[in-house]
Amino acid sequence: MAIFNLKKREIECKVVYYGPGRGGKTTNLEYIFKTFRKQITGEMVSINTEGDRTLFFDFLPMGLGKIKGCEIKVQLYTVPGQVQYSSTRKLVLRGVDGIVFVADSLAVRRDKNMLSLKDLQANLKEYGLNIFKIPLVLQYNKRDLEEQGIPIMSVEQLDHDLNRQLKVPSFPGSALKGDGIGVALKECMKLTLKSLQKELKWAQ
Amino acid sequence: MGDKENIKRILQEAELYQGQGLLNEARLKYDEASDLVRNNPKIKNKGKILAGLSKKINLLEVDSQKVERGPSSPELSSKAQDLIQKLFSFSKEESAEEAALEGALALARFGQFERALEEFDKLMANDAHRVVAAKNILRCHIALDSEETAADKYEVWAKGDMFSADQLETIRIFLEQVFENKGLKRKLTVVQAPAEAVVEEKQDEEFIDISAIGIPLESGPGKGKVVEFDVNFQSGNLLSLIISQKDGKLIENLEVDSSFEDLQFYSPIAIFNGSGVVAAKSEIKAGPKQGDYCLDIKITST
Ligand SMILES: Nc1nc2c(ncn2[C@@H]2O[C@H](COP(=O)(O)OP(=O)(O)OP(=O)(O)O)[C@@H](O)[C@H]2O)c(=O)[nH]1
Ligand SMILES: [Mg+2]
Repeated sequence: MAIFNLKKREIECKVVYYGPGRGGKTTNLEYIFKTFRKQITGEMVSINTEGDRTLFFDFLPMGLGKIKGCEIKVQLYTVPGQVQYSSTRKLVLRGVDGIVFVADSLAVRRDKNMLSLKDLQANLKEYGLNIFKIPLVLQYNKRDLEEQGIPIMSVEQLDHDLNRQLKVPSFPGSALKGDGIGVALKECMKLTLKSLQKELKWAQ
Repeated sequence: MGDKENIKRILQEAELYQGQGLLNEARLKYDEASDLVRNNPKIKNKGKILAGLSKKINLLEVDSQKVERGPSSPELSSKAQDLIQKLFSFSKEESAEEAALEGALALARFGQFERALEEFDKLMANDAHRVVAAKNILRCHIALDSEETAADKYEVWAKGDMFSADQLETIRIFLEQVFENKGLKRKLTVVQAPAEAVVEEKQDEEFIDISAIGIPLESGPGKGKVVEFDVNFQSGNLLSLIISQKDGKLIENLEVDSSFEDLQFYSPIAIFNGSGVVAAKSEIKAGPKQGDYCLDIKITST
């Protein structure tokens, strides 16, 4: 749930990067941290375990400046993707306003993408949220691996697997190279702010 | 494609997966490559190639084991602890105290006991949360293996005037139950309520205190038995158990999402049955509880 401070005319909202383990959520945040310097308002904090796997979460605070007379602050989080951290994943998701689902384009991770999306749906449901209604975009990551001859799924295949029913904006990209990362976040922010505007009616 | 090229391509895949931490996927590819080499009559120095491959597979196994052993609960920097506290204080708009309690519980759940203690100590100043804070202070001391400190704390409270006689009685029953579950025969001072005292209204906590849990095992070395474990932390219907290394075998076959129909819950007032599900399982890799397991069980119905 976003926090709307009427007196300060300030909105603080929460965007969570979700997806299967090793899919590139942390790499997304690292790229954003490096690239959008002007909007970054603090340090990136990562709590990792063995082999750089996220243990609790990554955190990155951003400020988007004034929109319709209101200061917009965004907190970006990643969840730990590994299956066994399900209770942490659920805790980090609490109070979410918008989601970037980072799918892994690697053909060998096809099932894991679908399972993770199902897990997201189940966790949202426990918070009384509907995956069809929450601001959500898909990011198809690791597209750069095609050049190296590693088997990856086509965008059509990924759309068919993950987006057939959701029909949300989807962005092929590479967190390693930075392709498609900014646009995915921007679209997610746009959807999130639109939905908050409806809910909080701050622009009227 | 020539056989050699095919093998090379598979190995390239294996290495990439390994580099990305996709260890199972890498393993499958190394196995595939080994099979191709083994079954190919045209390859000359098979022995050497296969030895090289099995060396790679061994290294991969070492990595996998490190990962499987699960998360360490590292002692985090105070900045990271602040962040956890802030992130999990969901009620900050509604009630500062409620938020402080949520934040402290989160710190304890992530194994940051010392810091959690500081936060619970602060919450002792708050009338509405004092009893809950006190119980959690005792839980933290016990998680840190200092039962004596927990008992001493209680005795200090028993002498002071921070708690009513009723509240002290709740705390005493709670702590004695914890001691009993641990096989300790520690008796605590009973504080008599003054005769004319009116019974204070019970604090409404969201879930009854559960001090231990009995889990019926369906497989593994303890198959058919009900094993009992102490509950180290509780937040609502989520119970966290710390299970010693030597009992690790018993829970070997329990996985996240394993569910139980007939769990036994032991509370200071009653023993009751219910169902639950494993919410998380991990090994503790650092600190005084190193090598022990942390198992979270969510009560789904009672
Ligand atoms: N080639 C390539 N590799 C990537 C890309 N994005 C991430 N990786 C690699 O994939 C691995 C996992 O990336 P992370 O960002 O740690 O993945 P994660 O989703 O945060 O993983 P968990 O924290 O375990 O859930 C790392 O080795 C990254 O370098 C990408 O776009 N292209
Ligand atoms: Mg990560």
